[in-house]
Amino acid sequence: MNLAIRDVRRHLARFVGTAAGVGLLLSVVIAMQGIYAGMVDDATILTRAMRADVWIVQRETRGPFAESSRLDPSVEARAAAVPGVRSARPYTYQLIQREHRGAVMRIALVGLGWPDDSGRSLPLVRGRQLAQPHGEMIADASMGLGIGETLVLAGEPYRVVGLTRNALTSGGDSVAFLTTADTQLVAFDQPSEATVLERQRVLERLRRTEIGRSQPSLEDLPTDPRWRAPALASPPVAAVLLEVAPHRLAEVRETLQRWGDVTAYTQEEEETLLLGGVVQRARMQIGLFTVILTLTAAVIVMMVMYNLTLEKTHDLAVLKLMGAPRTRLLGLILQQAWLLGVLGYAVAFAIAEFAFPMFPRRVLITPAISLIAPFATMAVVTLASVLGLSHVMRIDPARALEG
Amino acid sequence: MTDAVRAQNLSKIYGTGTAAVTALDNVSVTIARGTVAALLGPSGSGKSTLIKALGFVSPADTGEVFFEGRSVVKDGVPLEDLSRLRRRHLGFVFQKANLTSFLSARENVEIACEFGGKADGRSRARELLRYLDVGNREDSYPEMLSGGEQQRVAIARALANEPSLILADEPTAALDSVRSRTVMELFRTVAHERGAAVLVVTHDHRALDVFDVLYEMEDGRIRPAQHGLPTST
Repeated sequence: MNLAIRDVRRHLARFVGTAAGVGLLLSVVIAMQGIYAGMVDDATILTRAMRADVWIVQRETRGPFAESSRLDPSVEARAAAVPGVRSARPYTYQLIQREHRGAVMRIALVGLGWPDDSGRSLPLVRGRQLAQPHGEMIADASMGLGIGETLVLAGEPYRVVGLTRNALTSGGDSVAFLTTADTQLVAFDQPSEATVLERQRVLERLRRTEIGRSQPSLEDLPTDPRWRAPALASPPVAAVLLEVAPHRLAEVRETLQRWGDVTAYTQEEEETLLLGGVVQRARMQIGLFTVILTLTAAVIVMMVMYNLTLEKTHDLAVLKLMGAPRTRLLGLILQQAWLLGVLGYAVAFAIAEFAFPMFPRRVLITPAISLIAPFATMAVVTLASVLGLSHVMRIDPARALEG
Repeated sequence: MTDAVRAQNLSKIYGTGTAAVTALDNVSVTIARGTVAALLGPSGSGKSTLIKALGFVSPADTGEVFFEGRSVVKDGVPLEDLSRLRRRHLGFVFQKANLTSFLSARENVEIACEFGGKADGRSRARELLRYLDVGNREDSYPEMLSGGEQQRVAIARALANEPSLILADEPTAALDSVRSRTVMELFRTVAHERGAAVLVVTHDHRALDVFDVLYEMEDGRIRPAQHGLPTST
């Protein structure tokens, strides 16, 4: 006869309630570990998604994420000419905050080097890559926009053509991908009057000159929305991303080190900069909090197990007096602890499955967490039953005779 | 009749120095199988201490206890696995029924069968409950049973392992006179029909005629008593 099951069956509602409580506690521990993992993953997902071998940034900065970086756009052409470089594309990164449908929306705008990069390296879950140089965006699903919806930025509508999942910054903000030219339009939003006046001035000059009169099609250029007036400075880019031929990385880096205006980082170095700088403190904070929470959960489960055992003291004394083998009584406590662990983990798992996706910050349940959590839960409940087990050992069967 | 249990020169002292209390003072007693014996005496006379010593729960400081002819405890030192001895050969009935709260009536008896190494515990438990006239309450939990029913289930549990010795500590204290007598008669039936030795601690003088042997304790000493003689309470 299994005494643990009999006891649970008799006090089913209370035991299930206790297991639910333990489950909630476990879910908080798992959530903290998931937030911790999510923060680390968020910090690196942007760099990984760009699939660059080398990040060129402003000299002696740790850009473009850990600090701001401003590069002259000409760096792109210079870098493309370096032997061993397969392709070079500009990269811009900026955080903006806009209101959309009455809600505040924080977005990190990432510029893709159109036409070389239309977002082919991005993990799209719906829709397509960018197909035109202006007016389209790939948005993260966390922004709440659907395919075909538009978002007005700097007075221009941008239509969502593709959706990513979990493309977030280390701060948890959603990322939207536009062409570099579009992000610069948003970033350096010129007053329209200045643009109109400059456009008018250029057209007048074309009409006065021989070249303008001989090539009337040149008059179309200033009316292109991407056209920038020569009088207005070319906007800088945050970085230039390089794709390098295999085995030529060291050679390319050596060349770039000789340039006076840039610093080059490999993909791994860029990730290390992010983890070591932007998220390091938050990472440590959450890591320590997770450890404290895990210990707290262990102590609470221990007290729960101890109280469940204390309540049975008289019954256990009677069973001891009847000569119940010690293993049966210890088994009763251990089996209940394990059952509590299994039920608690099931509750925590259900919460993780249904509630975590609704959390404002991403809770990433990594395979390591999925694998370790159930074993850790069972280890915690087993350790937590030590107090109860020692109580069982100390119960004097003579107590049963004392009424 | 063979002896189920025999105690020889048992002594036990609680406390030390001026606070020392002699609970057992050179007590020798024998309970034979098939006998139902009563242990009388006022509170603090040492009855419960003797029950604990004879039940291998708390050994006496000195003296020896023989069980079915072999020495089991000598001068406070167990010579056998006392838990095993209890679960195989002893049955206990308490003032309160002390049934395991999370087991049904049948399961309370069945678990004792299991501990006692009896095969087919379930049918044996049912048989015992029927024998004690509570067969219709086998699925009820202790809190659903009346005091008398609980005590009957407790007696069934005490019989589950076919014990050589049943120790009952004021088993009728919580029952009215009619039910008390019924329980005492039940012990006699068990002793006579099943050949068990039964020792009952009681204050109830109305049913003393049920017992084959009477013992009286006072200040840790034991002496035989006679039916109909007044005893100190």
